[in-house]
Amino acid sequence: MAAEPTREWSDEQLKSDDLPKKDIIKFIQDNAAHSFLNEHKLLGNIKNVAKTAKKEQLIIAYDQLFESKRFKGTEPVEEMTEQVKAVKIEEKPKEVKTEVVDEGPPKYTKSVLKKGDKTNFPKKGENVSCWYTGTLEDGTVFDTNIPAAARKKKQTKPLSFKAGLGRVIRGWDEAILTMSKGETARLEIEPEWAYGKKGLPDSKIPPNAKLIFEVELVAVD
Amino acid sequence: MALEQLSDVVQRCVTLPNDSYTTEDYDVFTIAGRTCIEEGNSAQVLSIVLDEKNQDIVRSMGWNLLPPLIQVLLKKEDKNLSHCLAVFNHLIKVCSSARQPKELLIGLLEQLEQDDPEPIAESLHLLLNPLQKVLLCLGSRKASSLGMSLSSVLDQVAKLPLPHTKEQEEDDVFSLCRCCTDLTDFVRPFVHEARQNNLNSQNDNANKMAGDQDRGKEDELRTELLKFCMKTLSHPLLEVQLKDPDTLAVSPLRNFATEILNTLSAIGEPVPSLVFQPLLKRKQVPGFLEEEVRYPKESLACLAHLVFVHHLAADTFPSVFSPVFSLRCNMEHIFECHFSFDVCVFTIIQELYEKSLVRVEDGSLPADLLEIKTFLQVPQVNVLRHLLLCPQRTRGLKVFQLSVDKFDTEAKYNFFQYMLKTSNHSGVEGYVIKNIKNQIDFALRPGNSNTWFEGVHLLPLLRKVLTLPDGPETDLLQYLDRVMESLNLLRYLIIRDKVTENQTGIWTELYKIEDAFIKPLRVGVNMSRAHYERELHNTMETKRKESVLSVSVGDEKLPNMTSESQIQALHSALHTFDMIESVLVRIEELTEVKETH
Repeated sequence: MAAEPTREWSDEQLKSDDLPKKDIIKFIQDNAAHSFLNEHKLLGNIKNVAKTAKKEQLIIAYDQLFESKRFKGTEPVEEMTEQVKAVKIEEKPKEVKTEVVDEGPPKYTKSVLKKGDKTNFPKKGENVSCWYTGTLEDGTVFDTNIPAAARKKKQTKPLSFKAGLGRVIRGWDEAILTMSKGETARLEIEPEWAYGKKGLPDSKIPPNAKLIFEVELVAVD
Repeated sequence: MALEQLSDVVQRCVTLPNDSYTTEDYDVFTIAGRTCIEEGNSAQVLSIVLDEKNQDIVRSMGWNLLPPLIQVLLKKEDKNLSHCLAVFNHLIKVCSSARQPKELLIGLLEQLEQDDPEPIAESLHLLLNPLQKVLLCLGSRKASSLGMSLSSVLDQVAKLPLPHTKEQEEDDVFSLCRCCTDLTDFVRPFVHEARQNNLNSQNDNANKMAGDQDRGKEDELRTELLKFCMKTLSHPLLEVQLKDPDTLAVSPLRNFATEILNTLSAIGEPVPSLVFQPLLKRKQVPGFLEEEVRYPKESLACLAHLVFVHHLAADTFPSVFSPVFSLRCNMEHIFECHFSFDVCVFTIIQELYEKSLVRVEDGSLPADLLEIKTFLQVPQVNVLRHLLLCPQRTRGLKVFQLSVDKFDTEAKYNFFQYMLKTSNHSGVEGYVIKNIKNQIDFALRPGNSNTWFEGVHLLPLLRKVLTLPDGPETDLLQYLDRVMESLNLLRYLIIRDKVTENQTGIWTELYKIEDAFIKPLRVGVNMSRAHYERELHNTMETKRKESVLSVSVGDEKLPNMTSESQIQALHSALHTFDMIESVLVRIEELTEVKETH
């Protein structure tokens, strides 16, 4: 059995403004039993808990934890869930840390068909221009801005939009930030980051459709 | 007689150089020529007009003959029809190539102006083609004349009755559909020219030799066509209800709408840019039109409606924009049109709003979107206007509920607060309070816990709900919806939340609610009841007296109807107070039971 955790802070230190709420929350989350956390509404993302819990409440919880000694591992059911959680964490492949930590793995894949200049990557809010073709998994082309006749390409313009601002489906937004000028890539986007359960009603995209795009990033700003 | 006069003046003028014709010459030619046509001598007029020698005269003065000619042509059964037609066609051909075919143009446009639907449709059908020929002869100077022509034509089209049903569109009794088709044919060559200009300027971008003057003229043409498209999007397209392909396979109106969208793309105003325009910072185009004039709000809303509700030009609309972005843009269009009292505009923005909401996943709109004022104001104004304008509340409330469902939990919380604070409408507030109850119910179920509808944030919201706007003096009938829903919510909380658990905080708050809500409400109910009972008593007294004293005017006895309906209303009010009281009593019973156990 693990050694019992000890008090890190005195009452004075707890009340002090120098000690941020999230430190207290982290300590309690690391050391308290699951049911304790649940009762004191301290489960979940530290940022969110910090938003809703008052410092006084946290101090009370902290004190109660040491009084009741309801530490991690003191509840048998809890032990099992902790073990399961531990297993899951090990199996998850290493991901690149993005801004949003609790969102899970990216729901698209990209394979580069033609390399770009590897220098000009679009930043959030910058205008980008692309040629693209979109198909469903069965090969049906549902959209493209590449005209059929090559001569007409002079007449049409590539699609322009500001990247990273949620104006396009998430798969596109995320992927485009990883592409450099001149790159052509094949994107396979899961429905969650495309049009989801609804699809595009009355249109070409059915519900829960995985979308495949071939995108050429022509210009950045 | 007239024929001789005509021959004379022509013979005399043949010998003169054409800029020396006198006013008298013009007048004689005009009057004599018109008389000849009206008298049926068009064959002779034709031979004069076709004569090689006379072409200069025809070119200068011929356009004066248009009015009587067109009158004959519109009548159609005239036996002189073919001659008149020949004269007409010749005039068009010759006068277009005059250095200033303006008079011909104006003459034609004047003839378009009719009062009744039938002549309007007929003259459009007759004259659009010749008008086009004249305009095409103007070369690079055509833009302003084209603009003037299009404006006149649309003014005439506006006078035609619109088909509403599928059958009316098929029958096209007033020829609106035919006019729209004619109009599409009319603008086609000009659109083509604008498209070419667009391409050339793209190709020549590097080449700075292209004259600024030319570019100016090209811009003018594009601008006139843009004005035209925007005007059609206001009328007739805003007002007709397009039928979908399943209902009406071939729809001239749908085709017309599609052509307008294609025209916009051709002139360099791609439809996605226009639809998403509110959120795109457009480059300030140095032109002679202000943004608001260039892109009238109602026309843009109509355009968005054509794209999102009717799916026109779907093949060319990119399928990559996120539903939330589309919603945001459409809400701007809707917001801009919200204060229009035009029923057609109202219908269009309702449909656009609903269609945009449906594409978004439930619970996916985050709270920070509420910082964009349209997200607060559009659903609010929408439901309020609906309740005001439509006798059946259901549609308005249905759309309101749809918009609420799209917010995530925190956003719902903030939105409800906003609605309670600013709506000033008992029915809407009642509906919001019902929503709050549903959210609390949801939050109390295992696994759905959140801090907004239970826990820390709920009490501040409840305090805003469980109040009386004017204390004990609150008009309970006026605020009935709100008061009833508040009571229902309170009753629900007392039943659902165990005293020992107090998940919602209601039990610790109850004594405050007693003071702020329940006690004043009791007082209010008693006061109102006393008041209305007295009213009822008085009215019944009056009624009794009236049956002794009857009032007659002339020989007719006036009915006692007003008393009768008044009595009914008073009974109804009293019943309402009973209803409120019964819930209050029930709440008290439950509170006692729970508190003592």
